[in-house]
Amino acid sequence: MTEGVVYIVDDDEAIRDALGWLFQSRGVTAECFSSAEDFLAAWSPGCSGCLVLDIRMEGMTGLELFDRLCEMGAKLPVIFLTGHGDVPMAVSALKKGARDFVEKPFNDNELVDKVIEALAWEMQRLASDADAASLAQRLENLTLRERQVMDKVLAGKLNKVIADDLGITMRTVEVHRAHLFEKMGVKTAVELAQLLSSRR
Amino acid sequence: MNAPKALRDRQAIQAMPVVAMGLVVMLLGVLLWLLHRNEVEEEKRVLIQDILWVEQNLYFHLSSGVERLGQLADLAGRGGVASPEFVLQSRALISADPEVERVLVRDAEGTILQSLPPVEADGGGVGDPQWHSTLALARSSGRPAYSPPFTIEGKGARFEAQVPFFRNGHFAGTVAGVFSLDAMLAHHVPWWFAQAYRLEILDGNGTLLAAKSQLSPSEPGASYTLRFEPPGHGLELVAISYHSDPQLLRNVLAAAIFILSLLSVSSLWALRRHVRRRLAAEQALRTEHAFRKAMEDSLTVGMRARDLEGRITYVNPAFCRMVGWTAEELVGTVPPMLYWLPEDLENTYEIHRAVLRGEAPAEGFELVFRRKNGERFNALVYEAPLIESDGRHTGWMASVLDVTERKRSEELSRQHQEKLQHTARLITMGEMASTLAHELNQPLSAIASYATGCLNRLSAGDTRAEELVPPITKLGAQAQRAGQIIRRIHDFVRKSEPMVVPCFLDEIIEGAVGFLEPDARKRGIRIDLDVEGAKPRVEADHILIEQVILNLVRNAIEAMGHTPRPQRMLSIALESEDGQARVRIADRGTGIAPETAANLFSPFFTTKEAGMGMGLNICRSIVEAHRCHLWFEPNPEGGSVFFFTLPEMTG
Repeated sequence: MTEGVVYIVDDDEAIRDALGWLFQSRGVTAECFSSAEDFLAAWSPGCSGCLVLDIRMEGMTGLELFDRLCEMGAKLPVIFLTGHGDVPMAVSALKKGARDFVEKPFNDNELVDKVIEALAWEMQRLASDADAASLAQRLENLTLRERQVMDKVLAGKLNKVIADDLGITMRTVEVHRAHLFEKMGVKTAVELAQLLSSRR
Repeated sequence: MNAPKALRDRQAIQAMPVVAMGLVVMLLGVLLWLLHRNEVEEEKRVLIQDILWVEQNLYFHLSSGVERLGQLADLAGRGGVASPEFVLQSRALISADPEVERVLVRDAEGTILQSLPPVEADGGGVGDPQWHSTLALARSSGRPAYSPPFTIEGKGARFEAQVPFFRNGHFAGTVAGVFSLDAMLAHHVPWWFAQAYRLEILDGNGTLLAAKSQLSPSEPGASYTLRFEPPGHGLELVAISYHSDPQLLRNVLAAAIFILSLLSVSSLWALRRHVRRRLAAEQALRTEHAFRKAMEDSLTVGMRARDLEGRITYVNPAFCRMVGWTAEELVGTVPPMLYWLPEDLENTYEIHRAVLRGEAPAEGFELVFRRKNGERFNALVYEAPLIESDGRHTGWMASVLDVTERKRSEELSRQHQEKLQHTARLITMGEMASTLAHELNQPLSAIASYATGCLNRLSAGDTRAEELVPPITKLGAQAQRAGQIIRRIHDFVRKSEPMVVPCFLDEIIEGAVGFLEPDARKRGIRIDLDVEGAKPRVEADHILIEQVILNLVRNAIEAMGHTPRPQRMLSIALESEDGQARVRIADRGTGIAPETAANLFSPFFTTKEAGMGMGLNICRSIVEAHRCHLWFEPNPEGGSVFFFTLPEMTG
């Protein structure tokens, strides 16, 4: 089973059903929407997955939906379904950051392969995003003193020197140090340095 | 600028005669005045001469009288005053000298001793009342003495001349002669003098004593005064000249000159006014002329005037620009005109004669003219009679419009319109095709997805058959849906099938040819139409067949673009054989090369620059829709021949 969900947005019911069946046959979870408006209503910034979007639809077109998502800062990969003569539109969408497009009628598993690839990429993106987010979160939790102590530790200063610099006792420095190591989830100053180097 | 200079010149020209006239009058005036002065001086000179002469004459007579008195005094001294000789001498003196009225002899005391004629006869005063002083003077001087003038009883003035006589050396008295001034003047002033002058004798106080005149001087002229001496005593001789006739003549002359000057000045002034009016009129005329010329020159319409023989008398610049010959080259030429078409002379002559007969159509007529560079252009000509101001018909005025551009733009816009319709049709077709493609894409995509999904399941190897039933069922349904779309296309195509009705093919041909004939004529193509022989009735879509003929004829016309003019011949024939009506359209163009022949009927294939490559393709489709054929063959005379057939209706 592939991780992640593929969202299918197409106003043709047969296509939705057939694509749902196709993805299911490859073990990809599919959610279908009959219009761009429906998808927008269901979508929230936390949603992740891959979007398969028909370029021509009644009401809001695929391109318009894509533009709206871009405005809202959505990062999920988008693959357009294009018909005869829609290629120029699709190319312009690629320039705006769409992941790919596939021409109807489809070539066997090409679409599914592209979706799986996109989902994998999405997962990776989410993970790195999550790491960065948690590190930022941990740094956020430090008190001002702990921040100061951490900076001195990373600069390779000894506790005594730190105590002198900050005008506090050695004992207090040790307490702060223990607290910040705990908060950052590291055991040694070396680990702390490694953790933060990924950020810098 | 030189406008002020011209104005100054004109003013100078206008002023010169006036100035000259003024000078002439002035000079004449001066001349007259000089003449007058000369005359007056001459008159005066003559007057002085004359009066001196008269005075001499009077003096001479007086002195001769006094001399004879002296002789009497001698006698009186020697003899006596009563002697017969004395009396005799005295009488002789009185009779000889008419101015001597009497002779008086006085003794030394003044007593009158003798008077001849006797005193009684007079009955008045005798002699000088103041004789005493005169006598004393004569006595003391021993010479004749003269008395002041005196009058006797209103009888005019007189004076005495007393001559002393002596006896024995002693003064014994005087012999006096009483002289009448009037008589002196009467007898001793000649007639010619009296005619020219009035002679007066005045005393010292200016009192008139005597005068000799034939006319009273109403207008006294020049006068001259002389002392009259003897007798002296302040007596004066005054000669006053009459205003003579020459004076009058001269006045008349002066007056005439003056009047003449006045007349010439006034005529000059009148002339000047007339000239001014003429100038103003000329200026107005010039302005008008310039205005008209500017109008004529700015016209874009060509104007051409001809006399009754058809000779060109005037062309405007626009006409010259139109035909390319200059006005000098055109004016004076007679038909055939330079700009007539050499190959169409007969027809042009016919129209020309109709114009001269006054039968030119009021709505104008169209002709093809030739420019100097050989280019042809379509001219729209309106003819109107030229009527002089006196109502004579002197020729024809034509306005000529170059309508080539207009015709070309009409043609272009028509072609453009056609192309547009064509394009619109194509676009519609394209739209339709695109819509169909999209519609077909949907079920096909679904079919492909279901099929791929099923294959995926099957290749996974753990699939039960019933799992695949729903997707395969749906796949079948999508295949049905695609089939329906295809059927819809068929129905659409069927709807636009030809509307077949019975019609006469020759009428369709004639209609189509009539539509294209102006275009052919413009390109110098003659159309040989041979549809009289057969009158086949066919079942066809009138409009579509007309389109086919139009298309083929237009192609034929365009194919002859580079054919020499005399060979531009398009022949259209209609034949009927074996129940088939056959239309034959032959051009004398460049023909069809073998390599193009194969593709000629393919869609989007064209040999024309602006062609769409649909014409022949559509033609063939139309003809084939009528269950017939369209084909072509090379023309043995050069060019190509297109044929198509239609089945004739039976019965």
